[in-house]
Amino acid sequence: MAEHNMSEQLQRAVRQALENPAGKGLRIRGANTRAHLLPGDYTDEAVPVLDSSAHCGVIQYQPDELVLRARAGTPLSELESLLASHDQEFAASMPQPGLASTLGGAIACGWDGPARPYGMSLRDAVLGCRMINGRGDLVNFGGQVMKNVAGYDLARLQAGALGTLGVLLDVSLRLLPRPETSASRFFRVTPEDLPEWWRRARSLGPLLRGTCYLDGELHLHLRGRERAVSAALASLGGEQSHLDWLAVRDLRHPFFCTDQLACVNLPPRSQFRPATGEAMVEWEGARVWVRGGDHLQLQRQAREQGGFLQVLRGKALALPAPARDWQRRVRNAFDPAGLFNRALYSTHFHGAGD
Amino acid sequence: MTEGQGAPIISALRRAVGAGRVLSRREQVAPFECDALPVYCERPVAVVLARSEADVVATARLCHQHSVPLVTRGAGTGLSAGAKPYGRGVLLVTAPMSEILSLCPDSLTARVQPGAINEQISRAAAAHGLYYAPDPSSQIACSIGGNVAENAGGVHCLKYGVTVHNVVALRIVTIEGEVLSVGGDTLARPGYDLLALVHGSEGCLGIVTEVTVKLTPLPEQTRTLMADFPSVRAASDAVSAIVRAGVIPAAMEMMDALAISATEEFCHAGYALDAAAILIIDLDGAPDEVEAELSLVREELGQSGASRVQLADREAQRALWWKGRKSAFPAIGRLSPDYYCIDGTVPRHRIGDVLEAIDAFSHRYNLRVANVFHAGDGNLHPIIMFNGEEADALKRVELLAADILEYCIEVGGTITGEHGVGMEKINQMAVQFSDAEISQFLAVKQALDPRGLLNPDKLIPTLAHCQEYRAIREQRRDTGNG
Repeated sequence: MAEHNMSEQLQRAVRQALENPAGKGLRIRGANTRAHLLPGDYTDEAVPVLDSSAHCGVIQYQPDELVLRARAGTPLSELESLLASHDQEFAASMPQPGLASTLGGAIACGWDGPARPYGMSLRDAVLGCRMINGRGDLVNFGGQVMKNVAGYDLARLQAGALGTLGVLLDVSLRLLPRPETSASRFFRVTPEDLPEWWRRARSLGPLLRGTCYLDGELHLHLRGRERAVSAALASLGGEQSHLDWLAVRDLRHPFFCTDQLACVNLPPRSQFRPATGEAMVEWEGARVWVRGGDHLQLQRQAREQGGFLQVLRGKALALPAPARDWQRRVRNAFDPAGLFNRALYSTHFHGAGD
Repeated sequence: MTEGQGAPIISALRRAVGAGRVLSRREQVAPFECDALPVYCERPVAVVLARSEADVVATARLCHQHSVPLVTRGAGTGLSAGAKPYGRGVLLVTAPMSEILSLCPDSLTARVQPGAINEQISRAAAAHGLYYAPDPSSQIACSIGGNVAENAGGVHCLKYGVTVHNVVALRIVTIEGEVLSVGGDTLARPGYDLLALVHGSEGCLGIVTEVTVKLTPLPEQTRTLMADFPSVRAASDAVSAIVRAGVIPAAMEMMDALAISATEEFCHAGYALDAAAILIIDLDGAPDEVEAELSLVREELGQSGASRVQLADREAQRALWWKGRKSAFPAIGRLSPDYYCIDGTVPRHRIGDVLEAIDAFSHRYNLRVANVFHAGDGNLHPIIMFNGEEADALKRVELLAADILEYCIEVGGTITGEHGVGMEKINQMAVQFSDAEISQFLAVKQALDPRGLLNPDKLIPTLAHCQEYRAIREQRRDTGNG
């Protein structure tokens, strides 16, 4: 695995940008595998790019600590192979839209995979990070231990901040032992029957690690100790599913191949039927992907059901910004000059105001 | 501020929340002069007993308007003087806001007021086969608002997480008196993770007025093992070995010989008095999973040199072992006129080194230290036993505590895993963090509480304080005095 510490070079670049108050700021970029899923003018060529992909390598990994600390530019696929060789995995399932998708990009986006309702979210799994803030300082928050309440939790705050608070350098994440085995089953289910199935699925307890409803088929993913999984399968029934859970996680499943893609986030066990487009339902109804839909119409529909819409492909729509004044103040506390990822800040944090 | 200077805010508070809810006479405010770390005491100008979010809003607005410091307190069980009142300020008590507002078994959540007691939530949820997972040792008395402020942990965090992992939404009141909702119904949330930011912020950024907690299904089965060890080192190594074997126990607690003997005398839990250390381990989940893990753990315990491993064969036995663990603090308290509990977290594989170092440090200051702690998390709770009547005892305790915490930093750990910084560990913040890091913390504080009125002088030290403490520390090292 490649190993480069570029902290000083990156810090120098940030400080140089700070010296130019009339500048257009910086666009932070890792492997550039997620930018096409962040609509807006993020790809504005006039804004200089700060490339952190060369800052890579594992800093610390001792399997009995269940913690991995690595540089932000390290490809997740390489880290996963390393962990797998010790029968471990990340505690959170992180989407990797490209083969080169980096750890830093995953943290910045804060996206979660199909296992989210049944395990740890990515933000839950963040233990610490080292970063360059908008003053050009190298700062380190959180740590490599399971519990840490010294100072404000500024490490977890970076998950989903889209790099608008600073340049991520190193990240510590929680790990888990890899379950002994996994298996998937599917059932033909009508949309009306889904709520009942969510209840049934929950009886699988901690063995359930994913649900996905697509084209009238409900797929259930089980992971755990051999004995427990085979006992659960015997009473569950259903047919063997060949759903590629990794392709669903990484947004590589054919369903996602479309130029009009949005994600509807909803309260648990919502019954959401998109007025337009085709749907894939995950997270027991709390996340619905819609391809080919009318995004303005879907946004209204999501709001009516207590949720919100996030566009991944198509014309950018601003996200709601709850506690907007605090969002702005937090941004200023980290990046008073508004140096980092300005375009993303305006679409994702500045808000539609609801 | 004298009582006379305090008068304008007191009368304004009385008009706003009702005269009977504002205490200001010396004998009325005396019971609130400290939290559960009574070495730090101060009496506030007034104590407000809040009944509702409207009372909290009114109090915040008035404090803001009058530029009076505001400290919030829940049940007062904190162990870092985080809820110690400010002498010139108002103490806002949210303990009377103690209702469970709603409980939804479908969404696995409960909406509660900040004064709701941690254990009451689990009791209410039990009827639905659910519970609230974080269980600090003070769970029969501590409030959920305080749990959020401290990001409290407990015995079962290794598998189920701490408070921040088990809260989905909050309502908070800013110092300006604005009500904000953070977090919410959806699993993914837009914007910055303010929910995470508020957890563990020790009342320095806002006042929690409502908490929506995540409930966890009660495990189908729980089995409890107790293992005796001939040395603390062997017990520490067993902890790492179990994790390396791919098992995440629901709880994995360690007690050393001093803690064992104190506790055994107090509640006759059946602990081995000749063991140098014991581990109490909970395994929970689907019965097939638990059985498989039980044999893995037994094997690791044997290989790590356990002299005896027992499996609780009935619920009463489990309960007794845990009762002993949970009453260890008061039990140790009986052996000594005073005790002082500290809280550091270290990488699991360094537990043995740190326990040995603590032993060496304790001789230096001629003090006894008992250890009973969350071994699975690497979260240590050394309990320093002392006699406050002795002239220099408290000074020696503070120096020993500082040495232990600073050693935790040295081995890659932190000065607090779950008790918070409060006033108690404000010096060690200067050791764990650089000036640039402290400045970033202060910038966040300044952004959300520009006048610095919320819980002043807690959690984040000033840069001047940091420099001063670092200089004193250097001097102590140079003179070899500690």
